[in-house]
Amino acid sequence: MKKKLLSVLLCTAMVATLAVGCGGGNDGGSDSNADSGSSTASSDSGDDADSDGGESSGGGTYAIVTKSAGNPFNEKTAEGFQEVIEAAGGTAIVKHPESATADAQVSVIQSLISQGVDSICIAANDENALQAALEEAMDAGIKVCCEDSKTNPDSRQVFVNQAGVQEIGQALMDAVLDISGGEGQWAVLSATSQAANQNAWIDAMKEVMESDDKYSGLELVEVAYGDDEPQKSTDQTQALLAKYPDLKVICAPTTVGINAAAKVLQDEKSSVKLTGLGLPSEMAEYIGDDDDHSCPYMYLWNPIDLGRLGAYTSMALVDGTITGAEGDKFTAGDMGDYEVIAADDGGTEMILGAPFKFDASNIDEWKDVY
Amino acid sequence: MAGKSGRTIANVPEKSLKKTLLCWEGMLVVLFILINIFCASISQSYQFQNVLREMPKYLTEMFLLFPMAFILVLGEIDISVGATVCLAATMTCMASNNGLPFGAVILVCLFVGTVCGLVNGLILTNFQELPPMIVTLGTQIVFRGIAEIALGSGGSISLTNADGFRMIAGKVGIVPYIFFVVIIAAVIFSVVLAKTTFGRSVYAIGSNRLAAYYSGIHVQTIRLVIYTVMGFMAGLAALFLTSVLYGANTTTGNGFEMDAIAMAVFGGISTSGGKGRLIGGIISGFTIICLRIGLGQINMNPQLILIILGILLILAVLLPNISSRLNIKKKA
Amino acid sequence: MKENKSILKKITDSREASLFIVLIVLCVVISLRSPSFMTLKSISDMLKNNAVIMIMTLGMLGVLLIGGIDISIASTLAFSGMSVGMLMKYSVVQNTFLLFLIAIGIGALCGLLVGLIISKGKVLPIIATMGFMYIYRGLAYIIANSQWASAENLGTFKDFALGSVLGINNVIIVMVICYVIFFIVMKWTKIGRMVYAVGSNREAAQISGINTSNVELMVYTVMGTLAGLCGALAVSIYSSAQPNMLYGREMDVIAACVIGGVSMTGGRGSVAGALLGSLILAIIAKALPLVGIEAIAQNTVKGVIILVVIVLNVITQRMMDKNNLKGREM
Repeated sequence: MKKKLLSVLLCTAMVATLAVGCGGGNDGGSDSNADSGSSTASSDSGDDADSDGGESSGGGTYAIVTKSAGNPFNEKTAEGFQEVIEAAGGTAIVKHPESATADAQVSVIQSLISQGVDSICIAANDENALQAALEEAMDAGIKVCCEDSKTNPDSRQVFVNQAGVQEIGQALMDAVLDISGGEGQWAVLSATSQAANQNAWIDAMKEVMESDDKYSGLELVEVAYGDDEPQKSTDQTQALLAKYPDLKVICAPTTVGINAAAKVLQDEKSSVKLTGLGLPSEMAEYIGDDDDHSCPYMYLWNPIDLGRLGAYTSMALVDGTITGAEGDKFTAGDMGDYEVIAADDGGTEMILGAPFKFDASNIDEWKDVY
Repeated sequence: MAGKSGRTIANVPEKSLKKTLLCWEGMLVVLFILINIFCASISQSYQFQNVLREMPKYLTEMFLLFPMAFILVLGEIDISVGATVCLAATMTCMASNNGLPFGAVILVCLFVGTVCGLVNGLILTNFQELPPMIVTLGTQIVFRGIAEIALGSGGSISLTNADGFRMIAGKVGIVPYIFFVVIIAAVIFSVVLAKTTFGRSVYAIGSNRLAAYYSGIHVQTIRLVIYTVMGFMAGLAALFLTSVLYGANTTTGNGFEMDAIAMAVFGGISTSGGKGRLIGGIISGFTIICLRIGLGQINMNPQLILIILGILLILAVLLPNISSRLNIKKKA
Repeated sequence: MKENKSILKKITDSREASLFIVLIVLCVVISLRSPSFMTLKSISDMLKNNAVIMIMTLGMLGVLLIGGIDISIASTLAFSGMSVGMLMKYSVVQNTFLLFLIAIGIGALCGLLVGLIISKGKVLPIIATMGFMYIYRGLAYIIANSQWASAENLGTFKDFALGSVLGINNVIIVMVICYVIFFIVMKWTKIGRMVYAVGSNREAAQISGINTSNVELMVYTVMGTLAGLCGALAVSIYSSAQPNMLYGREMDVIAACVIGGVSMTGGRGSVAGALLGSLILAIIAKALPLVGIEAIAQNTVKGVIILVVIVLNVITQRMMDKNNLKGREM
């Protein structure tokens, strides 16, 4: 008897934990994601059972899936997305996967299909591994676009590219040329050796370097990989400095890597300078023209604008203004007109703009933005 | 009267143990139902066909749960299975892209998994002093490392011809094939663990390895078989995971080992060995899956879901302990 | 001749000595391939960059000695580090010393909770700490609220990891202090011997009057405290606090202990062994990029080295046992 009583108690306790957790969950959700969409959806579930799918008059439900939770860049993209969708009267769902893997994103996509959203805008953790899930979503009538990091052409309708691969390669290569003073050794500190974005940019840099004689004085000595871990990136930077005493410039096209490298160089008062792609808020401490700062300037794009363009694209796909075919044109609110063009991989994309340069003159105004 | 007087002291703990086990699994069923009611009440999209549609991805982890239960009953642990899944999935994609017929692709997948398991088993049986956790940690790094080398730059591979995998991902009505495979595997593993000499030997080894050895059980052979089967099942999981992903990358299968262990522990299988039944693990596996699907559908912060799972995991072990202690105190 | 033999025997008899030889061989091989490895600066960099793992190895030594395990430490570290980072980001606390105290306090509380569940609730360590691994990591994400604390927010706090006393970096000094304290406590105090006693034979320890559950509680609290300290250290060293800090690195800490000859069943292991084990891992991490192994193969090489070292450990142990038996026969 006692045992039975106890087990009933146990069950109640567990369900209570759950209930408490969920209560917290909704709070946390609306706090961190400002996800008013989900809470309104669940609160008025009584009077409108099919509120998710059939609410087209109210603007529909648009979802954005980020690469991982707890990353300010992703958060800003999601904010931009949400702002546009909500201004247009739609419901925005922000979904972070449990971890930064494609596996986790598959579960998230499946869950969104169940919820019957109108569109999914996703920053893919893997180019290929989302294909089955996204195809299923498209079969269910959900519009799919990518931002930040693309999937293969079969699993998307259009890719909202933050900046053309060529432009990034060109900008970074010119930065290396400028900072090195025209000649000398330079190295790359990347994320993982498998990171698709980084590899594309590095390849673009190599192409740019071979295409013009003005880069002939530069010698790329090594591409090191810090796996986007501060500790490993630090090890790799120190190894670069030890191995190549004549090194002049390190280019780190990844936010974690550039941060770790900047710290190493600045702490050691090294003569080696740094450029790459980094978050202004993270890098503010290291950007400057004098010898006390390790990074004269770097590039990035605006994640908020990226999210906003993702939102406009999602809405255009849903209301049929564009289909994701080459040559489609649409107006992205106050951001101006955009055109869908052919991407290198056989799919289609649209390009947000050129990468933005952060240097000593403008870092102070940007460091509080993102 | 006769029954009561026939009750010996030695009998009492056995009976109460049986009762607790029954209680625990019975409770899990109750919890499973409650969680389903709960999920259905918080999310209007928590419907039968949606849950079944979302399930295959989660069910791949169930394949790992069955042999993991055996390993936990042995009092050991295998944390390399996630990496084994990764390596097997990678090799499967490569084999398929090289134009092998689908039957051969399946064989490659299962073979790679089995070899990984065999490697673990061979190291562990030849160097019995080594703790399984550390050996499988080493092999985890190596297996994933080999997958990284095989995948090369880009770190990801996609199926050029997914026809065979589309077939695997198919459904009977609304029930996906994988569901039936999981049920069949569940029955086989449960019966082997509970009803066969082999299964009883596993319990014997888990409760007292030395005693089991002296009573003539081939401890090392059994360990070798179990680790190899673990690898085989990881291969099977990789096969179905590939049918969900149409590809593989370096993070495929990340964290699967912990999920499988959590399911088993939540189902009452002790990591110290010798205790627990597979049926508990299976029910708890479905409970956790349903909970994840339900909470996912209300777009709960994924970190909060993990916190809830963590709390449930600890409570699941803590509460029975406290209750049994209270009982002992009362009796005294 | 006889003396010679006894020295040789001493070397093969002691696990630490054989590990030390492995360490030296590693160093020699690496410096042959990369002369810049054996410089003072490079070694100082290495120690600083691995201080966090090395300090946590000490706590793990205690946990493993009593036959437990703790896989929640990387999450505890992230939680305490993230708390410190957020306190600075929103300018609540700026005093470096106070921040360290807060981080240590958070770590101690986390460890205490883990210890209570394990020692008083009789939950198996691997399960309890697996649960807390999820819980503390989740808490780190929640207090971070999708923000990072970056160099600019960290003010004078990040200077701690840059400063030095007598030419030795502060971080390394903290690490050395931890090691010295642990060495003394484990070797010469009652508490240290109690830990060993509980680990070698819990029942015997209990009967001889040691409160085993209190010892257990203490060990996990110490582990949490060190993890909390390391949270602050990590934020200071890398000038950045992110909720996914050191994700999955608890396994490195356990591996360091096991390589250092600490038994996972309890009772056997020493501070010197933990030091050597974590040094070997640190050297591997430092050397792989230096000797020019392809980045893509580095993980595989690391895994193989770990496996080889632990297998070597077993083989030397077997040889030792054999030698001991021989001695008995004579």
